[in-house]
Amino acid sequence: MSAQRTSLYDEHVKLSAKIVDFAGWEMPIQYKNLKAEVEAVRSNVGVFDVSHMGEFFIEGNEALKFTDFLVTNDIANAELGKAIYSPLCREDGTIIDDLIVYKISENYIMICVNASNIDKDFDWIESQIEGFDCTLKNRSHEFSLLAVQGPNTVKALKSIDLGCELKDIDYYSLQVEKLDMQEIIFARTGYTGEDGFEIFGPHKYIQNLWSQLVSIGAEPCGLGSRDVLRLEVGYPLYGNELNDEVTPLDSGLKWTVKMSKTDFIGKKALMDYKPNFRLVKLSLDKGIPREGYQVENEAGTILGQVTSGSMSVVLKKGIAIARIKKDLYDAENQFFIDIRGKKYKAELNKKPFVAGGHK
Amino acid sequence: MAKIVEGLKYTEDHEWISIEGNIATIGITDFAQSSLGDIVFVELPDAGEELEATNSFGVVESIKSVSDLYTPLSGKIIEKNSTVEDGPESLNEDAYGAWLVKIEMTDTSQVDSLLDSKAYSEYCEANS
Repeated sequence: MSAQRTSLYDEHVKLSAKIVDFAGWEMPIQYKNLKAEVEAVRSNVGVFDVSHMGEFFIEGNEALKFTDFLVTNDIANAELGKAIYSPLCREDGTIIDDLIVYKISENYIMICVNASNIDKDFDWIESQIEGFDCTLKNRSHEFSLLAVQGPNTVKALKSIDLGCELKDIDYYSLQVEKLDMQEIIFARTGYTGEDGFEIFGPHKYIQNLWSQLVSIGAEPCGLGSRDVLRLEVGYPLYGNELNDEVTPLDSGLKWTVKMSKTDFIGKKALMDYKPNFRLVKLSLDKGIPREGYQVENEAGTILGQVTSGSMSVVLKKGIAIARIKKDLYDAENQFFIDIRGKKYKAELNKKPFVAGGHK
Repeated sequence: MAKIVEGLKYTEDHEWISIEGNIATIGITDFAQSSLGDIVFVELPDAGEELEATNSFGVVESIKSVSDLYTPLSGKIIEKNSTVEDGPESLNEDAYGAWLVKIEMTDTSQVDSLLDSKAYSEYCEANS
């Protein structure tokens, strides 16, 4: 199958973006300068085309009941108009994907999933829906998706023509509008740790927003800066920190597994589960950790591997998330990362590397 | 358009080489620094290390990527440019000034296999 392009592909080419294949999509990895993109999001405003992500809709009388059963986090008790981050697990507790549930109404729920997992997620959800009075639709091709991120996001969005008035909604809340019979969903969510909105809308509408935002000085940002930004605030990425072999309890996501719920897929397995791993945040004064590098203790025992690593633009040093064998974890120990055969001292960070300014 | 200096030798790995007698000075080209973006880490071998042609002798890292450096010439490292290790951004500022290593060649005939500025310029054009 040939690579897919988002409705903004021509804009990326016009801006001389470096284009790479990502999950079967030709996506901009960076424009002129990755560092400038990260800095724009931390101090001003950046705009990302993330239209490759998938949008599913669960509709019907039991849409809420089904979604609450489907994912580990609590959807039933969340207020209407809220966005909820959750893993999607199998019966054995392993993670199929991590996603955001948008509780538009009790019988109309949107789920935004990772582009690389669209088919896998759809097949899984479809296999679980039998017996519930609701339907599942993959409407990914109807939507383009912009992430507008940074402390000046609201100011930027209020200075352009959105076709409607942007309400002052809380972080992880949404506003749904209908323009020319087409839905536009404004969600105060993102993957950078900064204040921001993710805007789901028809292709023409999103193309127009992109042009307006770029013309008022919002920095076009690619997937490269997006990855640095999420790593700086310690957010996991499916395929790196999360995968088909680990559970949320191996991955710092205990807070998203709500055992107080009557039932959900994976509950039984996760109830008695003893985690094999834990994720740690490591930073280095010298050297840049990369995915796959080994993490060791002073004695040279291999504790685990780096799952994501980069140079932090804000801290100007190497940062990493690593998956460590739980029984070998000792916070008092000195960690080392093996970089091309040399051992570099790594400091254990309990908090995110960068605080992020979201409300 | 990336800057290419006449009189230097080049490789398809986007390195430049300046030859004086049996001493070769190696750096990365303007094309290389520009495609890498912000260079944030450089690791070079210490003096005394012996290398065969095509061996990796170090790395250059940008925020998101790691690139190996390969020597096109066999020989012994006689000096590394520590100022580039301490300030990797100098490669972005002046790729032809910020040399990486000096090698005492064991086989000067290997120089014949290097590209001249015209051939390298054509190579860049065909591959950009």
